[in-house]
Amino acid sequence: MDELEFRTRVYANPTDVDKDLLEAAQAEPRLQTILDDARAFEADLQHQLQNIEIPAALANTLLDLPERAESSAPVASKLASTSFFQYYAMAASLVLAVGIAAVLTLNGGPSATETAFGADLIMHMYHEINEIDAITAGTDTSTIAMPAVAQVMAEAETQFNDEEFLRAMPVRFAKPCVIIPTYQSAHLMVQGSHGAVNVIVINNSPVNSEYSIQDDRFDGVVVPMNEGNLILIGEKDENLDEYKALFEDRVEWTI
Amino acid sequence: MSDTPVIHGNTKQQRYESLVAALYQDVFRYTYWLCKSKPLAEDLVQETFLRAWRSLESLQSDKAAKAWLFTILRRENARLYERYRPELVDIEGQAIAENDENEPDNRMDRELLHNAINRLESEYREPLLLQVIGGFSGKEIAEILDLNNNTVMTRLFRARSKLKQELKLDGTDLDE
Repeated sequence: MDELEFRTRVYANPTDVDKDLLEAAQAEPRLQTILDDARAFEADLQHQLQNIEIPAALANTLLDLPERAESSAPVASKLASTSFFQYYAMAASLVLAVGIAAVLTLNGGPSATETAFGADLIMHMYHEINEIDAITAGTDTSTIAMPAVAQVMAEAETQFNDEEFLRAMPVRFAKPCVIIPTYQSAHLMVQGSHGAVNVIVINNSPVNSEYSIQDDRFDGVVVPMNEGNLILIGEKDENLDEYKALFEDRVEWTI
Repeated sequence: MSDTPVIHGNTKQQRYESLVAALYQDVFRYTYWLCKSKPLAEDLVQETFLRAWRSLESLQSDKAAKAWLFTILRRENARLYERYRPELVDIEGQAIAENDENEPDNRMDRELLHNAINRLESEYREPLLLQVIGGFSGKEIAEILDLNNNTVMTRLFRARSKLKQELKLDGTDLDE
């Protein structure tokens, strides 16, 4: 065994070298020196990487997370309070015409973050308005095949646990969309009684509680679901409760 | 070995608590070196364990819990950096434990090594962290990082070589 091979293998894993490496080191003092040096360096490296002060309250904070999550109380996170809030606050300031009404909240109404999220969702309807109009007008009667629907769902890290129910409800549109930055969502449109019903599944931070969104044309509802949110948006007069009942228990996250 | 089950108990709550107890320190250390910020590391660890709690039923094998948790963490870190790139102040040495009583003999300056690790490119630092802090084998690291095993072993070799070169402890030619 030459020195380069020996060094390569020792450096790749100094603490768990094979028998043939040990034998080579014993037979060749130069290789033994390399092994000894590598192990000494590894001790320093391990010490350095492990010698990180663990925040004293971290364990208790982590142990408390389930209770806080299950009680629907917002989990204190600086990530949510900085990046998300800043983004959504900015979005909210740009979109003033969208009306948001709380259906059920624990604290009197949607937060600024949720309000802005609702605004983004309504805005997205107009991004896809040609397709919505085509379905509502009955000019698009095509049906997306189930594997294609599943692929779109998979890209958003989600899936249906039961696809049978979709067979009676043609999926006219299925597309991965980015409604808010960096969050891949699955956007489906199914044929409703009054036109296209948009079904959006997005793996972003769950909203605190269900709330409705609306504008002059559309009504919608944002439903928190464990890892993310399910959003249903249809034309006025569409019975979204019917679709909520169908989709809510059939969507699951893949991570 | 990293495939030792770290989850115990019958209820979801018990399983989660054993997961926290077994891994939160390693997860925090790994996160700190990954994002180089103690406050950010705390947030990321919380996000990771919250997601783990919500997905605990999807964990197929308790033996895979550690790799599963580190995968969630890496994904959370990627999400964070996709949507939010904080201005990090230079915090070199900030989170290093103050207690040096049990420190081994100073064969090298701690600060130099700390800085050298921080300067290591992520493609070399990540497998090194997973091996040294996480205790993962080359095969496990390959699965977590979605690389082949040979690439992982090469990167581990280069990671240590680069550190040694920067500390002037080794004359290995990385282009060899």
